[in-house]
Amino acid sequence: MTLKLNDVTVSRGVGPVISNVTLEVTPGEVTTVVGPNGAGKTSLLESLSGVIGISGGSIELDGVDISKMSRRRRSHAGLAHVQQGRMIFPSLTVKENLQLTASTKADMDGALALFPELEKRLDSATVLLSGGEQQMVVLARAFAAKPKYLLLDEMSLGLAPVVFLRLIPIIEQIAKTGVGVLLVEQFAHLALKIASDSLVITSGHVSYHGPADALLKDPDLLKKAYLG
Amino acid sequence: MWLNNVVAGLTPGATYAIVGVLLTLMSQLTRVVNFAQVAVGMFGGYISLTLVTKMHLPIFVGVIGGILVAALLSALLGWIIATWLAEASTSARSAVTVAALLFLISLAFILFGYRNQPFPTLVAGPMFTLPGGAVVSKVTVLVIGLAIVITVGSWAFLKFTAFGVKLRAVSDRQMAAELLGINVKMLNVSVWSITGAIAGLTVALVGPTASNDYVTVSTLVIPGAAAALVGAFKRMDLALVGGLAIGAIQGLFSGFPNLLIVRDWVPIIFIILFLLWNQRKEVWDVAR
Ligand SMILES: Nc1ncnc2c1ncn2[C@@H]1O[C@H](COP(=O)(O)OP(=O)(O)OP(=O)(O)O)[C@@H](O)[C@H]1O
Ligand SMILES: [Mg+2]
Repeated sequence: MTLKLNDVTVSRGVGPVISNVTLEVTPGEVTTVVGPNGAGKTSLLESLSGVIGISGGSIELDGVDISKMSRRRRSHAGLAHVQQGRMIFPSLTVKENLQLTASTKADMDGALALFPELEKRLDSATVLLSGGEQQMVVLARAFAAKPKYLLLDEMSLGLAPVVFLRLIPIIEQIAKTGVGVLLVEQFAHLALKIASDSLVITSGHVSYHGPADALLKDPDLLKKAYLG
Repeated sequence: MWLNNVVAGLTPGATYAIVGVLLTLMSQLTRVVNFAQVAVGMFGGYISLTLVTKMHLPIFVGVIGGILVAALLSALLGWIIATWLAEASTSARSAVTVAALLFLISLAFILFGYRNQPFPTLVAGPMFTLPGGAVVSKVTVLVIGLAIVITVGSWAFLKFTAFGVKLRAVSDRQMAAELLGINVKMLNVSVWSITGAIAGLTVALVGPTASNDYVTVSTLVIPGAAAALVGAFKRMDLALVGGLAIGAIQGLFSGFPNLLIVRDWVPIIFIILFLLWNQRKEVWDVAR
């Protein structure tokens, strides 16, 4: 039972932006992907959720090949993709944003339990919330979809580190409920701390794949991996 | 006298308003300026005419048949666009509706012939007389009522139902909505079929009151677009007011025989004024 990429290649316009990537996301654990700007991290997540197609290899979710499925079917199969940028629906209230995935009261309560501070903002237009609060809405909304695997793309983007610090334990907590989390982050140290497995991607290639601990303990290893 | 003319302009005005509201909904919810918006209604109108005159069905059966055909045609067009132009630009998607408009007009000529027959009358006669002596017909009241019901109803539907919330989410960010498992195509096609049905109903109501040849009816989409522009293709309430205003002004002009020619230009003047107004804002923004 894993989310598995076998030898995946993704091409975009000029040529491959992801080349022969193999990785496995395990339920209940956080797998962190780091790498310089333009390395192909977003493209990797987009190929998983179906935003873009793959040009080689295969993607399996719990043994089922999903690489030809529509985005909607992948979502129903248990994938949730939090895209880069703040993917709120601006004309919806906080409550409406959550209701898109939280169909029952229990789901709604579960989502709000992650971020109790959202409770008093339920009827506000989401666009009026702070950046951090908007990311809370997005994360809570993804959680309420009860995904098996959660893909998170640079949730920290544009947030103060203290605000992102609020999100990190929640991501860890979501993983503990049995969700496999694939976490793409700029703040490598924070993201590696909650991860078991980790990858460094440079120019579309995997330049390091191994335990997150090793990268944390040895800054030289991380530096070397970044250089490709 | 002038009041009479203004009142006479309200039926076409309410028709423009309905078309304007439909165009606003379509543009907001399905990213398309639907030039075939009235053409599907026109086609439905002629289907009901055929059902009633050739097949001798009761009027209301014919009208319902026509509305269904309008809804189906619109849904088919929406399905085509959602399938093959899902991620195309708004202009590319809208261009397809221009093709559909021309196609429906020529198909009408082929299927229903070159000599227009009047539509079966659904409602007729006066509703009440205003103090100045202006007579308000039942059709006028009905069409204005329909325009208001559509505007308020759509607003309430989008605001208060789960379906409406999903439609707004798709309108905000289609990709993000798809990634949440929302069936964007199904939602799009439903909007197409509902606006198609409303266009069919509108043509059935007002068709008998005016010239109903294929081109005249189908090109009601132009004053409708002028009404939608009043609300910048975003606000249904302003589209409603805009449509009624255009109709009233046209009515007013028809009271002066030497201004009669200006009457047909009123929607175009509205469109030009809007474009100039928009331009002015853009220039101002750039200057800033
Ligand atoms: N829509 C697109 N069309 C063509 N090329 C693209 C597109 N989006 C990204 N690319 C290219 O693909 C490569 C990988 O981009 P991607 O966004 O996946 O990198 P990233 O690792 O997520 O970067 P960042 O850290 O800046 O978010 C880049 O060279 C980029 O220029
Ligand atoms: Mg990225």
